[in-house]
Amino acid sequence: MARMIRPATIQESEKRFARLLALPGMIVLILLVAGPLAYMLFNSFLSKTLAAPIPPHFAWFRNYADLFSDGRFWNAFFHSMIIMAVGIPVQSVLGLIIALLLNKKFPGSKIVIALFLIPVMITPVVAGFEWKIILDNRFGPLNYLLGLLNIQPIAWLAKPVSAMISILFMDTWQWTPFVTIVLLAGLAAIPKQIYEASSVDGSSASETLWRMTMPLLRPMFMLVVLLRIIFIFKIFDPVQILTAGGPGMATETLSVLTYTIGFKNFNVGMSAAIAVIQLVIITIIAKIFIAKVMNRTEGRAK
Amino acid sequence: MQGMRKLLFVFLVLFMVGTQAAFSQASASSKVTITVYGDQGQNLQPVEWLKEEAAANGINIEVVGVPFTSVYEKLKTEFVGGTGAFDVVIFYPAYLGEFAEFKYLQPLEKLFPVHDPKMNDVVPAYRDLYCTYAGSTYALPYDGDILNFYYVKNIFTDKSEMAAFKAKYGKELAVPKTWDDLLDVAQFFTRKKGQMLAGKPLDQDFYGFAFLGARGFAYAWWANIFGGYGGAFFDKNMKPLINSKAGQDALTFQKKLMQYCPPDVMSMGYEELKNAYLQGRVATMVQWSDIWKKANDPAISKIVHNAGISQMPGVKQADGSIYYRAAAPVGRVIGIPASTKHPKEAFWVASKLSLDLSLRSVSSTQTGEDPYRISHMENPKAFEQFGTLAEAKEYLAVVKDNLNHIFPDINIPGSAEYLDALDMAVTNALSGSASVADALNSAASTWDKITANLGASNQKKIYNAMLESWKKYGFWKE
Amino acid sequence: MSGTVLTQADIARRKRIRFLFSTLRFALIFISLAIFLFPVYWIAIGAFKGEGEFYHYPPIFWPNHFSFENFGRALTVFGGTQGLVNSLIVAVTNTALVTVFGVLLAYSMGRFKVGGDNLSFFVLSLLFAPPVIAAMPLFLVFKTLRMLDTHQVLFLSYVLINMPFAVWVMKGFFEDIPKGIENAALLDGYSRFQTFLKYVLPLAVPGIVVTALFVFIFSWNEFLFALIFTRSKVQTLPIVLAGMTGGHQIPWGEISALSLIAITPGIILTLFFQKYLVRGLTFGAVKG
Repeated sequence: MARMIRPATIQESEKRFARLLALPGMIVLILLVAGPLAYMLFNSFLSKTLAAPIPPHFAWFRNYADLFSDGRFWNAFFHSMIIMAVGIPVQSVLGLIIALLLNKKFPGSKIVIALFLIPVMITPVVAGFEWKIILDNRFGPLNYLLGLLNIQPIAWLAKPVSAMISILFMDTWQWTPFVTIVLLAGLAAIPKQIYEASSVDGSSASETLWRMTMPLLRPMFMLVVLLRIIFIFKIFDPVQILTAGGPGMATETLSVLTYTIGFKNFNVGMSAAIAVIQLVIITIIAKIFIAKVMNRTEGRAK
Repeated sequence: MQGMRKLLFVFLVLFMVGTQAAFSQASASSKVTITVYGDQGQNLQPVEWLKEEAAANGINIEVVGVPFTSVYEKLKTEFVGGTGAFDVVIFYPAYLGEFAEFKYLQPLEKLFPVHDPKMNDVVPAYRDLYCTYAGSTYALPYDGDILNFYYVKNIFTDKSEMAAFKAKYGKELAVPKTWDDLLDVAQFFTRKKGQMLAGKPLDQDFYGFAFLGARGFAYAWWANIFGGYGGAFFDKNMKPLINSKAGQDALTFQKKLMQYCPPDVMSMGYEELKNAYLQGRVATMVQWSDIWKKANDPAISKIVHNAGISQMPGVKQADGSIYYRAAAPVGRVIGIPASTKHPKEAFWVASKLSLDLSLRSVSSTQTGEDPYRISHMENPKAFEQFGTLAEAKEYLAVVKDNLNHIFPDINIPGSAEYLDALDMAVTNALSGSASVADALNSAASTWDKITANLGASNQKKIYNAMLESWKKYGFWKE
Repeated sequence: MSGTVLTQADIARRKRIRFLFSTLRFALIFISLAIFLFPVYWIAIGAFKGEGEFYHYPPIFWPNHFSFENFGRALTVFGGTQGLVNSLIVAVTNTALVTVFGVLLAYSMGRFKVGGDNLSFFVLSLLFAPPVIAAMPLFLVFKTLRMLDTHQVLFLSYVLINMPFAVWVMKGFFEDIPKGIENAALLDGYSRFQTFLKYVLPLAVPGIVVTALFVFIFSWNEFLFALIFTRSKVQTLPIVLAGMTGGHQIPWGEISALSLIAITPGIILTLFFQKYLVRGLTFGAVKG
């Protein structure tokens, strides 16, 4: 039975319907998330440490001042940035290439895709320990295989640069499959009609790829890159387990620093401040990324 | 698919409710339940051994094990949250000061009558420096971690090596008793693959020495040298002494030693260091006591009946004696939280673990505990499964000796923070990211900040109380 | 559009090129697979190694014996079975919760722009913070509610970690669905909710599936909250595994064995939901 459609009613009922749908999710988020965040912000203005029975007191911006004047903070910041600058392009491009390679069904593709996801599925703690063995100077298979190519064994985790590379290896290994799978889903969402139309058209495979697939995949690609940026900035397990920030402080990142100060030194005020700073940095990066890169897809005709 | 998902969800809810109901069966026994907290795995094995006897005494033991690296944060979180969840806690002595100061733990003397833990049987220095705080006993020992000097026996007794050494250095080849001697020995034994060692060609590069350079406990390996040079963490006014001449000299010396260590020494943690020694990559090294227990296992060791253990090298004094100190990172002690509802039963459990079960614990392959009682040291037969009786006797004598020269972790409030800053400085300097002076000075100024944040006068008071024990054992040079 | 007349030679050439590309494609896939799976292979053979075979020179690339001892011990002595069961309960429940609530929120945000850019960014920003900052406040809350050391405390607190991610990914998929489909259905007389169920959801399935898959994996591997909020009654797999890696006698064989067992649910799920992920399946054909 057709209903009488009046524009104004549609708008209102639309909004009401949408808000109703959104309500349960919103309640959950606010309850579980907003609270702790506010608490953390509050703590960052306190001089509060749980290492000695001193009552916490307001220190306004003292935590922040101490951090900004501490070389250790900048060192950690620098390392987080490097990991992001190198890791993101590598993982995004690699993930995209592999997704495109896997996009057509072939015998065994089901298994191959499942196998590709395994790195993400392995408990980070175990993955870290396994990589430690693999990278071992004397007993690890990597140096052994390099030796077969006549390359001298490298003390991967003992030198600053190679330690950083090792962390990037492990992170890339663990998260490129994530990029691939999300992009595969994105590719799957592209209606078959598009391909059917273009093959009738006579376009070659690469034309189809560049002119049709990529632009349609772009929003999903940008989304997964954004997510990777956010996650890689928080990188913790690979660093903590492989090097614990070492040698010295050559691989200490902001998250490792937050954890050390918050959960080993129990300097609650200071670690809250670092967390706030981390939040601000990634907010800025995310905003810029969204504005510059993602919004270019707006105005795309649907 | 929609219907299936709804069904799935309903099934899950039921499943969850069901399992929850199953789990929340309250145990309707008249026994007292004592919850023991410690790091997971083999170190809680003795607690399992105790369960039967405890049950016979009306005590039901429940165990909460957490990963090794998480002991502090989990315990501290529970303490801060005031949950009172644990009746007996096994933790690392470095946190003793903080936990006692916050009154998370209760002093134990008044509970001694429940089951005398025979504290006089504990190696004195370990007892006084790791179990007491502000004059009271707050913890019972459980694991006597101490660092020892290890070497490969046959290369020191090989005739060709002895001759070559004498020719090169003009003195007899011997297990080094001073750090300077170690430098010569390490240099002497560092060789490339293909060169000869004790009459056989080497199938891999060989190094004279190795230490633990990975972040976390690296500071302790520097502390061995620093202690030997007469160092201490603070002076009696809480001025850091880590960047004193002794501190800088010790770190500079360690850098010199590094040239005779494997190239991956800065990433060496417990496993890597152990394997470097047992797989025949190094001539000497420093590590915890339990390595000895593993050295004669052919499955993992290439130096069976060839592993020597010795006192920590030191520094020759004016009167000819050698002054040496051995660091004791990690270790385990047992405390009783102030919040426990059953202090007597809890103490019974703790005392049983620390005394009655201790010999079995420290001499078993199933645990990782190391000896700490005089009664352990007098029982070499219990250790015969690890080596010959003679080897066992030597091992126990050395461990006892090193324990009596203990250079303890800082265990005043804030220890985790102090030690982390120190560890960072040591590893920075050794890996070349900072000069020795810069690294230690930076750590010292961080230490000043920490002390200020935690209340300088209180820290000073606590530290000076600890110094009394140092003086008692002749470790404090005014 | 003009049609090109293809000669026999052209067709043959195109066939050859396609064959070349195919081979190249397979080669690349194989190489990538080999590289990505090498560490997994290393863990797999580790499950069969004895104590002295881990730090061994030369490294052992093929186990000497194939006993399943390590698997047995990992499951019994080291508490692996409990870990698996607990992780399963927590991960499945959490995934269901997050997916259901997340889909609704994602649809309303993606399609109707509820809350606009601000809400959208707020949800995203919840991903910025490392969960560690919420650990202490949530601990105190859960302690007061007497929820510590239960399954609920985990699958509820995991909502904090997984919901923002789920909403954002699914929002992206919902945004990509043409509005025309919905409008057509509305004109046909379906209610909003029916439209959503019958026409929108099916098109968003790849997105929902991939989201659910990752939410499951993230819940399965979560460590920090599991450590802080549980003690002994509910130990999840990561805690059991981490517990095995501490101290001085690391049982590498059992750890490898348990890790292998631990990835099977993920693999089963991926295989099961494959058809929703890869192009080639006819689902909800777009009409009009």
